[in-house]
Amino acid sequence: MLDAIFEMFKGNMVYIPLIQPIVNALMKIPIVNYIVALILWKPFFAVAILPGLGGIMIVLLLMVYWERKLTARVQWRVGPLEVCRPLRGLIQPLADGLRYFFQEVIVHVEAHRPYYVQLPILTFIPVLLPILFIPAGEIVAVRSQYAIQIIVALIALIPITIIAIGWASNNRFAYIGTVREAMMYFAYEIPFVIAVLAMILMYGSGDPYVIVEKQTVPGIVMNPIAFLVFFIATLMATSRLPFEIPEADQEIAFGPFVEYSGILFGIVMTLAYEKLYIMCLLMTILFFGGWSGFAIPLLGDLTPAIWLFVKAVVIMLIIALSRSIYPRFRLDQALRLGWTSMLGISLFSLAIAVVKVWWLG
Amino acid sequence: MKVEKVEFDALSRIIGHLNAISVGVKQAIKPERITTEYPRERRKLPDNFRGLILFEKDRCISCFRCAFICPANAIQMELYDNYYPSIDYSKCIFCHFCVDSCPTTALKQTKIHDVAFKDLDEMVVHTDEMINPPELLREDKITVEYKINGKLVLERKREVEDLIVDVIPVKRIEYHSACVNPQNCLGDALCALICPTNAITVVEEEGRRIMKIDTAKCTGCGLCVRECPTKTLGLVRREG
Repeated sequence: MLDAIFEMFKGNMVYIPLIQPIVNALMKIPIVNYIVALILWKPFFAVAILPGLGGIMIVLLLMVYWERKLTARVQWRVGPLEVCRPLRGLIQPLADGLRYFFQEVIVHVEAHRPYYVQLPILTFIPVLLPILFIPAGEIVAVRSQYAIQIIVALIALIPITIIAIGWASNNRFAYIGTVREAMMYFAYEIPFVIAVLAMILMYGSGDPYVIVEKQTVPGIVMNPIAFLVFFIATLMATSRLPFEIPEADQEIAFGPFVEYSGILFGIVMTLAYEKLYIMCLLMTILFFGGWSGFAIPLLGDLTPAIWLFVKAVVIMLIIALSRSIYPRFRLDQALRLGWTSMLGISLFSLAIAVVKVWWLG
Repeated sequence: MKVEKVEFDALSRIIGHLNAISVGVKQAIKPERITTEYPRERRKLPDNFRGLILFEKDRCISCFRCAFICPANAIQMELYDNYYPSIDYSKCIFCHFCVDSCPTTALKQTKIHDVAFKDLDEMVVHTDEMINPPELLREDKITVEYKINGKLVLERKREVEDLIVDVIPVKRIEYHSACVNPQNCLGDALCALICPTNAITVVEEEGRRIMKIDTAKCTGCGLCVRECPTKTLGLVRREG
């Protein structure tokens, strides 16, 4: 039984010429070889290392630092600096994370205790499930013909958990934040789905492999309108600043997450970044040619994953700039934007896709 | 005039967005920030910066002008061999009227603006503590100079600026007190009582008290002029 599993792992391992000698040496040691085979087993690698959890960890540490530092630069401040001065405060997010770990978690009396404690952890399910379906070349957990549709459906689940968190908090700020989150959900979800639909129609398939193969010209050139809608929807969905309405630090103090402290706050705070990461991976696949890029012989199977990751991270770094440029929209303005302009241009992008597919082949 | 809702057309909206983004990107690449990392960098301050006040005893003529002019009533004169000022920094507002009013530049400005006191009692700095500058712990290695020629530019130099300013004593116009309006004199001898150098002596002449002023002893502090109730006395420029 164990041997059969081991053979299954060994038959589908990530081949990286750079570390292959080390892997070969480790595979000869009795128990370690099981662990190495598991880690390098492609489905596990996709979920746990790249583009999965390992990627999320890197993104979290990088994004929090980058966002604070970039915003500080634009606003003529310095930003985090004192933690590890020679690196200009580079390990500040790590220090914050450690602080969250050792801080007391306060569950206040009026909170719905079981849900209040459970939900931040349950929220990881819709956040991490899409990663199963995001392929990076050969490294993929679940290969599906309908991967894009499944990813979009799973992303749509995330606001529900946030609303549940706000309900369990039983706080008036959390309540306001929750209602705003629900409103925003209505504002972006339909244009977002239509934009993705336009792209799927254009490529003729929801299979990422087909989509990447068909992108001799990147999707952003083929249908820039759909990209615009997707981009704004990403900002709305992840509470980036022009649409930071549900969290709104200055007025409702982090909205649905107002009551959380300690590691639970650490988890819920990273939620938006994780969602951003997933949506950027999706954006890379749909609009920026996915994992295609020139081959790096030394990295072997890892090359596509690196390309996908690098492209997604570059998009995230650019999106971070929006925080320092725009003020926050009012809820009604954001709703109006979602239901008029965005819905309109998303339908227009769908029309472009239809025209391209049916009349131009 | 009626205030109307401002309407933007699509083109000006797009131009506005592009403007905002271009400004953001420009600042992200090369920010025009004007902050300094204070304990490690120090801004280069002008010589006449209103910082902590030091005192030079030899120059002081005990004229009390610093104590009289102080708007916050922070300066008290203390008696040593003569009256010398002490400053209560819990009251001081760093207006430096005292420094400006001092005729002999006995009070000196410095660029020290970061001093810590342990308690309120310690904030009353006595004369003997004002003579030597306080102990300084300097972390800064870089001096930042703000240069304005049309645009504000920060110039960073690897140098440590001296915070103690060399105050060159001004060439002072010498005064001595004299009876300008002798007909006003009541003979109450208040001037003789107040004089810190005992330059005024009381002499009885024809049944009247007359004040004799020894101009050699007089420092020109003007205390007697201030004290005289009938404006008999005045400061007169010293001859030669």
